Amino acid sequence: MENITKLTSDENVARNRDTYINAHLIDTAPQAIEPWDKEWGVAISGNTPNPSPFERINKILSITKKSTNGFVAPDRAELVTESYKAHSGEPQILKCAYGIANTLDNTPIYIFPHELVVGCLGCDKKGAPVHPEFGLNWVVDEMRDGLMDYSEERTHDYFSYTKDTQDRLEALRDFWNGNTVEDMTNAMLTDNELKGSHAGKGIFFADAYIFCGAGHLGLDYDRLFKLGFGGISKLIEEEIAKIDSFDPEGIQKRTFLKAASITAAAATRHIMRYSVLAKEMAEQETDEKRKSELTKMSADLKHISTEPPKTFWQAIQLVNLANCMIHIECNGHSVSYGRFDMYMYPFFKRDLETGEATREFMQELIENFFIKIWDLNKLRNHILIKTFGNGGIGGPALTVGGIDEHGFDSTNELTFMVLDAHVHTRLPCPWLAVRMHSGTPWELKVKVANVIRMGTGEPKIFNDDVAIPSMLTSHIELKDARNYQVVGCVEPDVSGKSYGWKDCGHMNIARVLELAINDGRCFNCGEGCPRWEICGKVGSQLGLKTGSLENMTSFDEVLEAYDKQMEYWCDRQVAVLNAVDIAHQLVRPLPFLSILMDKCIENGKDVTMGGTKYNFTGPQGVGIGTAGDGLSTIKQLVFDEKRITGKELLDAVKANWEGYEALYAYVNSDRVHHYGNDDDYADMLAKFAMDTWCKHIEHRPNAHGGFFQPGAYSVTVNVAHGQNQWASVEGRKAFEPVSDCMGAVHTKCCSHDVCGPSAICKSVTKIDHARATNGTLLNWKFSPNTLVGETGRDNFIALMDEYIQRKGMHSQFTVANQETLIAAQKNPENYRDLLVRVAGYSAYFVELNRALQDDIIGRTSLSFD
Amino acid sequence: MLHKNAAGEPVGLITNIQRYTIHDGPGIRTEIFFKGCTMHCLWCSNPETISPKRELGIYPSKCMTEGKCSWCVRACPRGKELIKFDAEGLVSFIEKDGGCADCMKCADECPNHAIKSWGEEKTLKELMRVIKSDESFYRRTGGGVTLNGGEVLLQWEFARELLKACKEAGINTCVETALCVPSEHMEAVYEFTDLVITDIKHMDPETHKKLTGRSNELILENIRRTAELGKKLVIRTPVIHGYNNDEENIRKTGEFLRNELGGNIVAYQLLPYRRMGTEKYESLRTPYPFEDYKAPEREVWEKDLLKLADILRTEFDLPAVAGSSGKLDVEL
Repeated sequence: MENITKLTSDENVARNRDTYINAHLIDTAPQAIEPWDKEWGVAISGNTPNPSPFERINKILSITKKSTNGFVAPDRAELVTESYKAHSGEPQILKCAYGIANTLDNTPIYIFPHELVVGCLGCDKKGAPVHPEFGLNWVVDEMRDGLMDYSEERTHDYFSYTKDTQDRLEALRDFWNGNTVEDMTNAMLTDNELKGSHAGKGIFFADAYIFCGAGHLGLDYDRLFKLGFGGISKLIEEEIAKIDSFDPEGIQKRTFLKAASITAAAATRHIMRYSVLAKEMAEQETDEKRKSELTKMSADLKHISTEPPKTFWQAIQLVNLANCMIHIECNGHSVSYGRFDMYMYPFFKRDLETGEATREFMQELIENFFIKIWDLNKLRNHILIKTFGNGGIGGPALTVGGIDEHGFDSTNELTFMVLDAHVHTRLPCPWLAVRMHSGTPWELKVKVANVIRMGTGEPKIFNDDVAIPSMLTSHIELKDARNYQVVGCVEPDVSGKSYGWKDCGHMNIARVLELAINDGRCFNCGEGCPRWEICGKVGSQLGLKTGSLENMTSFDEVLEAYDKQMEYWCDRQVAVLNAVDIAHQLVRPLPFLSILMDKCIENGKDVTMGGTKYNFTGPQGVGIGTAGDGLSTIKQLVFDEKRITGKELLDAVKANWEGYEALYAYVNSDRVHHYGNDDDYADMLAKFAMDTWCKHIEHRPNAHGGFFQPGAYSVTVNVAHGQNQWASVEGRKAFEPVSDCMGAVHTKCCSHDVCGPSAICKSVTKIDHARATNGTLLNWKFSPNTLVGETGRDNFIALMDEYIQRKGMHSQFTVANQETLIAAQKNPENYRDLLVRVAGYSAYFVELNRALQDDIIGRTSLSFD
Repeated sequence: MLHKNAAGEPVGLITNIQRYTIHDGPGIRTEIFFKGCTMHCLWCSNPETISPKRELGIYPSKCMTEGKCSWCVRACPRGKELIKFDAEGLVSFIEKDGGCADCMKCADECPNHAIKSWGEEKTLKELMRVIKSDESFYRRTGGGVTLNGGEVLLQWEFARELLKACKEAGINTCVETALCVPSEHMEAVYEFTDLVITDIKHMDPETHKKLTGRSNELILENIRRTAELGKKLVIRTPVIHGYNNDEENIRKTGEFLRNELGGNIVAYQLLPYRRMGTEKYESLRTPYPFEDYKAPEREVWEKDLLKLADILRTEFDLPAVAGSSGKLDVEL
């Protein structure tokens, strides 16, 4: 037997190259209420058995799968179809309302062993309901083609199903054929708009919400807590009573309010079903302690089915149920949990004062709630999972920290308890965001640094000092901006007041540069292209004719060509996104979501049609580093130094650098100005590349009464965009990923950023984050030995402080040895709990697809020495 | 030794500038490595810093081959005469004696750094621009600049100007030196130095000479003088198993430090030997003096280091630690 001595985390890093494998050597017993400066070790990631101080939580964790594989649950699809048929002649919004009501009334519900917080998607853990409104064909087709369950084509994020499930869904197919959001969208568009899209050459993608709801929002928890579902029903009735039916708008409003009323009543009944189930289970229960828990839960559930919550337990119960019901309705990505430490604090405080609950019990509730989020799942097709691996329900963001609506720091005990709850559960859910600013207390910085050093990739940090001014440029009121939450991966949002269509699409700006310098033609234009017959062969080209680098006589001409090409593609992306937006309004309005959003009831208008206070559409620019280094390479080598001609550079790239090995090495070397090295020459061109994208997207009108907001991040679609793109001038070979998010370029040859963390911090913050009103994202990757000890911690905090002061909007961190990641690729069975930061979210590394794993391994690993 | 560039401006001959280092001095620092050294330590991991002249390093494995590239040949004023390739077409060496003018054009052109120029001439202005770019990081962490080498004091005139410019800009300065230099050079630089990092590699003059090529008398005298001037010091010993890890030597070191340095010693760091820089020796076609040295297993040297640190702490009351990652408690 090995004589195991417990080690401090520093010793662990010093002694073992593979900190993950040796995580068990670290001596950090979890405590119910953790000290603010507790350390849990560096780069041990999720590899700790029984991480929680609570026996119940460890028990639940032991029966929780560390995987996003699930199964297909057909009940919802049938129940919705049944209602649509029963109400076939009625307005679309009423069909939708009856559909959700029927589902809430009749879908299976569960209360799982040990749990204190209930609510699910109408199926067992990890089940994914089907949403035929957004398209049923792909679901049935993937089942038929063997692409839904495990196969060589789909090795992770697969969904099992029974023959019965397949038959039941197949039987619904005809009804939905031609009646989905996808069908409606395509009917509104022409080849001119679609040719550059996901359905064409993939310059931009705009299909995120063709197959699902837009999500990316939080609820108006204040309204929910103030009124309860009973109060909401009453408010709807009052508004109906005010309607003047002789006004044509009145009829529309009344129809919406009727739909809203149907869903509000259904929500009450749905919660009551849980109350009844809890009571039944209590009656059967032999364990006295559990029996009393279930009895209490039953009474609480009955109370919150109509009334506002009174206790912390009731409130957290209601939050979980409300969010689950939103998922059941709309299937949206990133239905988020708002500023949890703010809206829960009054309950926390009151319960402590009255003795209703202890701190410890509330800590346990939060941990249970976090695991509940991980239980949820969502069906995705076999293509999407390749880049969005291990996504689970997708984007369940939860925000803590930051300033309050008056501008004061709002950190409270719950801020710390939420971070501890992540440490005690070590699951990649919820997606935690900590808001920071120049006045963030030292204790919180230390807590955040210690959680980050653990290496699960959580939490991300967000900067109030740039996010808030950025929101003001989108005409958001100061009070609301100060109250922002982070949704999705990195998007600032006003919880319950904004229908932001965040992350609805993305533009590969590196691909735009390709077309800009090649007269609108793809570098690999030829017979292999599916569009060849109608494009290249007939002397046409994909994009706008903006001239060839071969003939350009000044660098200004390059910049102008890029600008014009960008406008051309932004026009088309906006058109496609607006068509999808209109299709949502026509096909899939969201009356239940509407009752939990500010002003929809008062305005008598569905949230999809602009019923709430703020309305945006937020696509992302992808490949900032690639485009920036591309421009820099052209400027330096072709125009400033005249080392090569434009033609030579184009020839080399078109040949995928074959036969141009020396030039390939040279453009990848530090002799060329590269973004990420605190070098204005390149940084300003990356800034130009991104500003040009913003210029052509920002403030363009959208279809639900608001305007467009540009973002600057890729999450993981940089891999997908790269697979769509031939070689590029900055030294990328064909089909390699383009640069990720705000990060510097790393090609197969090497990383382009070679000057360390301070240079990255400065380069990245030269880009105007405030202009990316839909959010920015920066991935940092540290080797563990840089973060050990007080020195490691304090220097890390200093780096973050500097990033915040320089107005970087967002940062997130992977802390892992390269050796660990490579070992995990080779022996995945030993690394089941290895969580890494993908982008915007954390995931189990071994559950990601190889290309994405490689991309994470390839990110520049920073070392402070 | 004061280098001047073609324009007659004073320059430093620098092998590397590293931003964001955290182990050589307090806080986040920018570290500048000067070329040229007075000693030849057997375990040296920076052989490119020993010669006081610019040198060429050759990395055949990085060469794109003569057939696919040959940019170096095109750049060299003497063409193929001086640059030699092996049978596979990889660059193998440069005929320095055959009339090479040290113009470094081959290295400047080589796209993959298969030919690398060790040592770049940097003006005060150029260096200050790099140093100042991380000023805000220094201020947050009590960091600053560390001049290192090689032996930075070989270029003492330039180093003095650089440190002076740093102090004028309010930047904390630290000098890491072997102190095997005339004391007046040392003192000239100290005027603008906040913290000195230096080594005691062995207490016995003869052994010291065997290990480093130089006796330790001048070094110990300079350390004494440094303390006398009231300079704060970090003392390091690279602990080489079988060479200087005996308790007797460490006790002598402890005695010297306790008797001579008073309160001026900020930390005494015992550093492990690491086999590093061998590829740089190869690139310089210089044999690695420690080629045959067999370092003990980690458990052995780690125990060694901890034990020695313990002796120094308990018997000599010195702030001794193993490794360089501990936080330095320096009042600035």
